[in-house]
Amino acid sequence: MDATLRQALSAGEQLGIRYALQIPQVAASGWTGSRSGRRNGSSIDFQDYREYEPGDDLRFIDWGIYARTDRLTVKLYREEVTPHLDLILDGSASMNLEATAKAIGTARLAALLATAAANAQCTRAVWLVGEGFQRLANDSLLPSAWDHLTLDSRRTPEEAYAILPPRFRRLGVRILVSDLLWPGDPVPTLRRLREGAAALFVIQLLARDDATPPEHGNLRVVDSETGAESEIYVDAGVARQYADNLARLQQSWADACRQCGAHLTTLVAEDLENSLPELEQMQLLMPA
Amino acid sequence: MIPLLTYPLALLALASVPALAAIYILRNRFRRRQVSSLLLWQFQVQSKSGGAKIHRLQLPLLFFLELLALVLLVAAATGPQWKLPQSARPLVVILDDSFSLQATRDGVSARARARDYLKRLFDRQPPPATRLILAGAVPRSLALVRTWREVDAELAQWQCQAPGADLNSAVTLAAELGRQQANILVLTDHKPAEETISNPRLQWAAFGVPQDNFAIVNASRTAFGDEDRCLLEVANFSDAARTTRLLVQTGTNAISATDLALGAHEDRRLVFNLPSGAPALRAELENDALTEDNTAQLLPPIRHRVRVLVALADENLAALANRTLDATGLRATISADPELVIHETDTLTGTNCWSLQWTGAAASNAYTGPFILDNSQPLAAGMALNGVVWAAGASTNAPGDLPVILAGNIPLVSTREDAFGLRHLTLNLNPGLSTVQDTPDWPILFWNILSWRIAEMPGLKESNTRLGAAEEVKTTGGAVTLWQPDGGKKFFAQTGGDLALETPLPGIYFVVMDNATNQFAVNPLAADESDLAATASGQWGKWNEATERRLETASAVWIFGLAALALLTAHLYFVAAARGGGR
Repeated sequence: MDATLRQALSAGEQLGIRYALQIPQVAASGWTGSRSGRRNGSSIDFQDYREYEPGDDLRFIDWGIYARTDRLTVKLYREEVTPHLDLILDGSASMNLEATAKAIGTARLAALLATAAANAQCTRAVWLVGEGFQRLANDSLLPSAWDHLTLDSRRTPEEAYAILPPRFRRLGVRILVSDLLWPGDPVPTLRRLREGAAALFVIQLLARDDATPPEHGNLRVVDSETGAESEIYVDAGVARQYADNLARLQQSWADACRQCGAHLTTLVAEDLENSLPELEQMQLLMPA
Repeated sequence: MIPLLTYPLALLALASVPALAAIYILRNRFRRRQVSSLLLWQFQVQSKSGGAKIHRLQLPLLFFLELLALVLLVAAATGPQWKLPQSARPLVVILDDSFSLQATRDGVSARARARDYLKRLFDRQPPPATRLILAGAVPRSLALVRTWREVDAELAQWQCQAPGADLNSAVTLAAELGRQQANILVLTDHKPAEETISNPRLQWAAFGVPQDNFAIVNASRTAFGDEDRCLLEVANFSDAARTTRLLVQTGTNAISATDLALGAHEDRRLVFNLPSGAPALRAELENDALTEDNTAQLLPPIRHRVRVLVALADENLAALANRTLDATGLRATISADPELVIHETDTLTGTNCWSLQWTGAAASNAYTGPFILDNSQPLAAGMALNGVVWAAGASTNAPGDLPVILAGNIPLVSTREDAFGLRHLTLNLNPGLSTVQDTPDWPILFWNILSWRIAEMPGLKESNTRLGAAEEVKTTGGAVTLWQPDGGKKFFAQTGGDLALETPLPGIYFVVMDNATNQFAVNPLAADESDLAATASGQWGKWNEATERRLETASAVWIFGLAALALLTAHLYFVAAARGGGR
């Protein structure tokens, strides 16, 4: 893996120490863990009493009440769960746009989110969208130990899903980090990602060159994924059209997210640290 | 119109134009830039399936603004100067009025070529004012005009009929009229005397073409007894022997038609007699380059006679006087209404005639000289009185008498003019003791007397004259009307007795005075003008360019400077408004 990306992962890890993933209530379920769930469980935290029902664990019958009232009453305790984060990274080549900090920003943001998830007692899975949805090597370890983080795929998430769909944990928190720059209707993609998830956050990570209208002059633009080229004379009108196209794309994703119950935000890779308050604002992160 | 460049080397700065173009071309090369996706660029995405497409070089407006500004600045640096719509200097045009400009070549005369040149000059840069000077024998200034139309109207007076052109006097007159400020243009058909013209204001343009020419260079018809003697001189102005045909007519009768074979530059005189009653003679050569000098008309000569009345009582004196008068050939056959009376007494027989009073017939003093002659008087013309004996009375001249011949203080011949302008002569002579009547001085004296009397008689002096020469007319003081050959009429209401008539045109002139009509012929006889070998074409001298440029051009630097400034302002506006965007 590129040393620069590994360094970015370490930086993101350091950055994420200050944050914890904000787990939605609906996501407080899952494997037994150290975090209180929203259901009854087997923790030591007493929650309530109720009438015994067949099938209840006999170990939780309060025999003292039975002796006094002759009624079988079981004690209910708070469930202790481990929430889960599925971090989905767009591994397309556009996330490694040359001459930009987009790849570094992706790595830092992923490491940040993973660290914040760890701070929130979450388990996590990091999915790299390339030739299918692939788990990132060593994704259960510290981000600085991740491996094979390569951003060179020429597949869209739709194509990757068709090749190898992910196996997301139910009721987990899912975060998609992508530039969202691929053609097609975003709704099907979002539906798949949203299905069975406690929450879905979509973070559009753009390079500054993506976010701002291009500078004036003659440009031979090369698609980072397809290699297609186009010669364009950029003037104020073209810049304006570019900005309109970007706004239109973002609006379509915003509409799709709203339709699917996902949360969308846009960050600029070169300005990542200053953009973190937006993640807090969308209730994804909170101070640890 | 091509502007004048004061500093043409500044054009080297145009090398910056390709430099600017190179900068823009390099700057506008398509810079490769990788983008995340062409999704956002689909408004300009072009299909590559059809192969490569030739792209027109796209240069922004700013490039053209800068290019134009650069060119304008370079143009301003060259110091361009525009010719003013019209010359700042007035123009004086000297028109050679000699008839040699009528010589044609291919049907076009030198005058026509000169006129076309002048018109082109006006088309190119009309002067603010133009004065035309006709350079004939005497330069004559025409009107001051401004437009070509006015000039063309004045050129109608440029007939080219003069027997010569005093161009030096015309140039002097032009310089005076132009006050050393005007440009002077000489339009002629020959080179200047000095081909290097030092006058910075003088330009000499010649439009002549050397050609062969036959011409009648001399023609006269004089009284020769009872006949008229005619002289015709024909010259061949060519470098080779040529032949022409001379036709001589009197009235409608052809006297002769002669083929004249003349060598190179040879002239031949033809002398023949005509009866005195023959009408006007017309001699004509074949047509050639210059037709003006191919014709000569000769009218019969004027034969003046004086009616003399000899009223001398002394028969010897009368016989001597009659014999001498008859010898002069100037005495009329009749003596009625005499114009000269010769008498001895103080009493005049006529009131309107001259008189010659013969005194001293009985004098006994003979003088041998020296004699004093007043040669300014016509009476003394040709007289010598060498070795003569002149016997005369020892009387002094009467008051008012002007002595013409004296022997010491004794007036021998004297004259007096009375209140009516009549001359009264006094001859103090005793021929009995004198020898003067036996010498040639005696008929000379009488010939002078009659000639003087004839000269004072009204009428024309000559019936044939050369073109340009003044025809002298003695008038009685009354009105005189002159009809020119072209039909032009000149009327002189009062004359002082002597009248000199201009002869600007060849042909027959009619003079009407005292209910009498006289005519005289004018012939263009000028060998120098007929000799077309000396004509030339070319231009000599040039109006001072440096001065012309100051006076006749205006700097256009400010125009280019302002235009460049405007362009740069527009450039700044576009840069500020569109961040240098390609509008």
